[in-house]
Amino acid sequence: MSVSPRRLLAGASALATLAVLSVSACSAGGSGGNANGTAKTLTVNTSFVLKTLDPGRVYEATGLTAVHALYDTLLTFKGSDVSKPVPALAESYQASPDATTFTFKLRQGVTFADGTPLTADDVVFSLNRLKNIKGSPAVTVSGLTVTKTDDSTVVVVSATPDPNIPVVLSMPSTAVLNSKIAKEHGARDGADAAQGDTAQQYLDTNSVGSGPYVLKSYDPSSQVVLEANPKYWGTKPQFSRVVLRNMDVQTQKLTMQRAEAAEISLDISGKLLDGLPGSLQTSGVQDTVYFLFLNADPGVSAVTSNPKFNQALRAAIDYQGIAALYGKGAAPGAGLVAPAFPGALPAGEESKRDVAKAKALLTEAGLTNPTVKFTYPAITYKGVDLGTVATKVQGDAAEAGIKLELNPQPLTTFLDEMRGGKSPLGFTPQSLNYPVADSLINNMAPGQATALRSGWTVERADPAVVAAGKKVTATLDLAGRATAMQEWQRLMNASSPYLVLASNSSIVVATTDLTGADYTAAGWQVDVAAIGRK
Amino acid sequence: MTTVHDGEPGAVATTASRPRGPHPLLTFLAKRVAVTAGLLLGVTVVTFGLVNVVPGDPVTANLSDQALNDPAAVAAFREKWGLDQPLWAQYLHYLGNLLHGDLGHSQQTGRAVLDDLLHYVPATLELALPSMVLALLIGTGVGMLAAVRNGRFTDQLVRVGALLGLSTPPFWLSLVVLYVFFYQLGLAPSGGRLSTDFSPPPTVTGMYTVDGALAGQWDVAWDAAQHLSLPVLVLTSLTVAMLVRFVRSAMLEVLQQDYIRAAYAKGLPTRVVLRRHLLRAGLVPVVTVSGLAFASLLSGTVLVESIFGWPGVGQYAYRSATALDLPAILGVSLFVALVYTLVNLTVDLLYGLIDPRIRLS
Repeated sequence: MSVSPRRLLAGASALATLAVLSVSACSAGGSGGNANGTAKTLTVNTSFVLKTLDPGRVYEATGLTAVHALYDTLLTFKGSDVSKPVPALAESYQASPDATTFTFKLRQGVTFADGTPLTADDVVFSLNRLKNIKGSPAVTVSGLTVTKTDDSTVVVVSATPDPNIPVVLSMPSTAVLNSKIAKEHGARDGADAAQGDTAQQYLDTNSVGSGPYVLKSYDPSSQVVLEANPKYWGTKPQFSRVVLRNMDVQTQKLTMQRAEAAEISLDISGKLLDGLPGSLQTSGVQDTVYFLFLNADPGVSAVTSNPKFNQALRAAIDYQGIAALYGKGAAPGAGLVAPAFPGALPAGEESKRDVAKAKALLTEAGLTNPTVKFTYPAITYKGVDLGTVATKVQGDAAEAGIKLELNPQPLTTFLDEMRGGKSPLGFTPQSLNYPVADSLINNMAPGQATALRSGWTVERADPAVVAAGKKVTATLDLAGRATAMQEWQRLMNASSPYLVLASNSSIVVATTDLTGADYTAAGWQVDVAAIGRK
Repeated sequence: MTTVHDGEPGAVATTASRPRGPHPLLTFLAKRVAVTAGLLLGVTVVTFGLVNVVPGDPVTANLSDQALNDPAAVAAFREKWGLDQPLWAQYLHYLGNLLHGDLGHSQQTGRAVLDDLLHYVPATLELALPSMVLALLIGTGVGMLAAVRNGRFTDQLVRVGALLGLSTPPFWLSLVVLYVFFYQLGLAPSGGRLSTDFSPPPTVTGMYTVDGALAGQWDVAWDAAQHLSLPVLVLTSLTVAMLVRFVRSAMLEVLQQDYIRAAYAKGLPTRVVLRRHLLRAGLVPVVTVSGLAFASLLSGTVLVESIFGWPGVGQYAYRSATALDLPAILGVSLFVALVYTLVNLTVDLLYGLIDPRIRLS
C-alpha cells in the first residue's frame, strides 16, 4: 500500500513543536522568581520533613525551622553557638544551686502578633500544654512543674537536678502561645490534654506567637510561607517574606547552581557539595554521628554478645575510609557525642583500624569466620547513602574474617525491628533533638531504653560504665559535666555495644548576597529571621 | 426502519424496538454502581489487612525516639488513633465512618483525609489533564503515521523512539529535563507550582492556571503554566511512548481489513480513508489503553511529583505509606480504585460512541 499522509505528518509535527514550545516559551523563571536581586522574599529549599507547626507537637527538622521563626521561647541560641542559651522572652533567669529551680523574669512590652500583651499566664499555659498533650517533644519537659509568681515571673521546678533546663527552654517546642486564641481553638493544658486538645489543625494553618514572622500559608507537601510580623518586639527581619519550599535534594543542587540571590538550601551535604560554584557560601557543623549497634543479648546472637567479637569488629573497620565516603565535613568516628556539642571527644581520639588485632581477638573469642546479619535502613541521609557505607563496613569486616550479611530494610520496618531488639547488628545515624549531649545518658547508658533495644542491661555492662554515666548526671557544673561526658564515652568505646563509624556535617548552602545563613545544631537548622543581605 | 442498537448513545429507541423495563443505560449504570461499591469495600478490606500485616508500627513511624521511650506518650498516641482497639473494631469503626463520608484523619497531617485529597487531587489533575491531551494527540498521530508507514524508515524511527520512551525511568527523564531546560538553558523553573514571589490565587478549582485566570491574575496563571511545563513534558513523553505502540498495532490490524483495501481500491483519498475508516475502527483499543494511562496519571506519579516538588496525590501517597498512616493510605487506595472504576466506565461508554456495533451489555 502506497500512501503519503503528509497531513498526518504535519499534524504530528505541529503537536510535537507545540509541546516543545510550551517549554521554550517559558521565560527564565529561575527557581523562585527572585533572580533580579531586589526581591524581598527569602527562599529556603529543603526536602520537607514536616508534619505539623503546632509547637507542642513539632519535632521534625522543617517544622522546627518554621516554628522557631514564628514563636518566641524563654531563652534561645544566637547564631551557631549552642554552648550557652541567651535571653529571648526572659530578659534574665536565676538557677538554684541544686539546679532544680529556675526563675525567669519576662521581658516587658512584648506582644503577640495580634497585639495582645504576652504574660506569665501564656508561658505557664504553653509549657503545661506541651507537657500534657504528650506529643513527641513532651518528654523533654515531663519532669517540670511551671508556675508564675507574678505577671512577669515564671518559676520552673525540675523533679531532678538538671543544669540543662535553660537549654530545654530554648527549644521551639517550648514556644509561648497566645493562650487566649489557642484556647478558643481547642488548645488545653490540663492533665487530660492528651485527649482533650484539638488545636493542632488550627495551629498548622495559623500562628499565635510573638516571633519575627507570622504564618501566611502551610502545605506539608509543597511550601510554608512566612511573613514578617509588624508587631515584633525584637530586631525586625530583613526579609519580609520567607518561603520554605519542598524540593528533592538533586533539584536543590541544580537550583542553587543557578540561584543568583536570596536563596538557601538545607540538604546539600556530603558528596553533593562537590561541583558547587565557589561563589556560594556554605556553613556547617558536625552534628550527626553514624554508629553500629551490636546486640549484647546472647539469646539474640551468641556472636555479637561476645565482648571479644565486639572489640574485633571495632578493630576491623577502616574509619578514615568510611569518613571519605561521606565527603566534605566528615570525620572518623570518636565518641557518641558529635563534635558540634560540648562533651565531644577532642581531636586525636578518633578510632583507628588494626586488622591484625581484629583477627587475634576473633581467635581469642573462639570464633572462626563468624557470620552476622547486618540490618540498616535503605535510605540516603544528609547526602549519604547508608547502603554504600554498609557495604564498606562489610568489606572491612571481611578482611578480618567476619562475614556480614547485608539486610537493608525500609525505614519503618527498620525502626520497628530496632525497637523490638532482635537485630544482631544494626546501623543508624543519630542527631540530638536538642543540643545537650548528656541526654544520651538517659537513652544509651546500660539499662536505658535505647540500650535495652541492644540487649544491654546493667547486669551485662561494665560497672565502670554505669558509674561514669551516673557521674555525668550528678555533675551540676556544665564544664565539669562535659569532662565527665568525655570520660563516659571513652569507657563506652571500650565495652558498649555502640561502635561509632563517623561524624558528619549538616550544611547550609547560601547565595553570596546573604549574611547570617549559619547552620546551627540547636535544632532549627538556620535562623531565617537572622538572615540579611550584604 | 433504521436499525439502531439498544442503549447506543444518541440512538433514538422506540417502544417497538425496545422491550419494556428500565432503559438499558440505566440498568448498566446501576450494575456498575453496585460493582463499584463492592470493589471499594474489597479495597478497604485488602488495604486494611495489608497495612496491618506488613512489618512496622505506626507508633514507631510517627513518634520521636524520645517519645518512644515514654510509655505515657506511646499510650496517648495509641488511644488517640484507636490503635489500642482490636483490629476488627478498628475496621468496623472505619467502615462506620466511611458510610457517613468520613475518611478519617491523617496521622501525618492531622487533617481530614478527604480534605487532604481535595487539596492534592487538583494539583495532580492539573498535571494529568494537559499531559493526557497532548499525549493523545501526539500518540495517535504518530502511531497512525507509523502504521501507514509500516516497515519504512519513519516506522522504524517511531518504534525505536517508543521503545526508548518506555525504557526510560521517569525519575531519570525528569532529572535530564531539569538539567537541560532549567539548568543549561534557563527556560523553565525547577520545581513547585508557583514561584516563591507569588501567592496561590483564590481557590475555585484548585488548579492554579485556571484559578489564576478566573481571578484575572494573569501573572499568576502564566507563572503556574511555566511551572507545569517540565513535569507535563516528562509525563507526556512517557505516555506518548506507551500510546504509540498501541495505536500502531491497532491501526496495523485495521489496515489489513478488506474494507480498507476496498476503500483504497475505490480510489478514496488517503485522508478520507484514514479519518473515516482507520481512525474510527482503530480507536477502540486506543481508548482502552488511554483510559488506563489517564487513571495512572491521576493516581499519582510519585517520582515525577517528588523531583518537581509537585504537591499531588503521588507525594501524599508516598508520605502516607512511609509513615504507615493508615487512614491516609486507605483514603488514597479508595481514591485510586474510584478513579480506575470511573475511567473504565467512561471507556465503556465511549466504545458505544466510537463503534456503534458495540453494545453496552
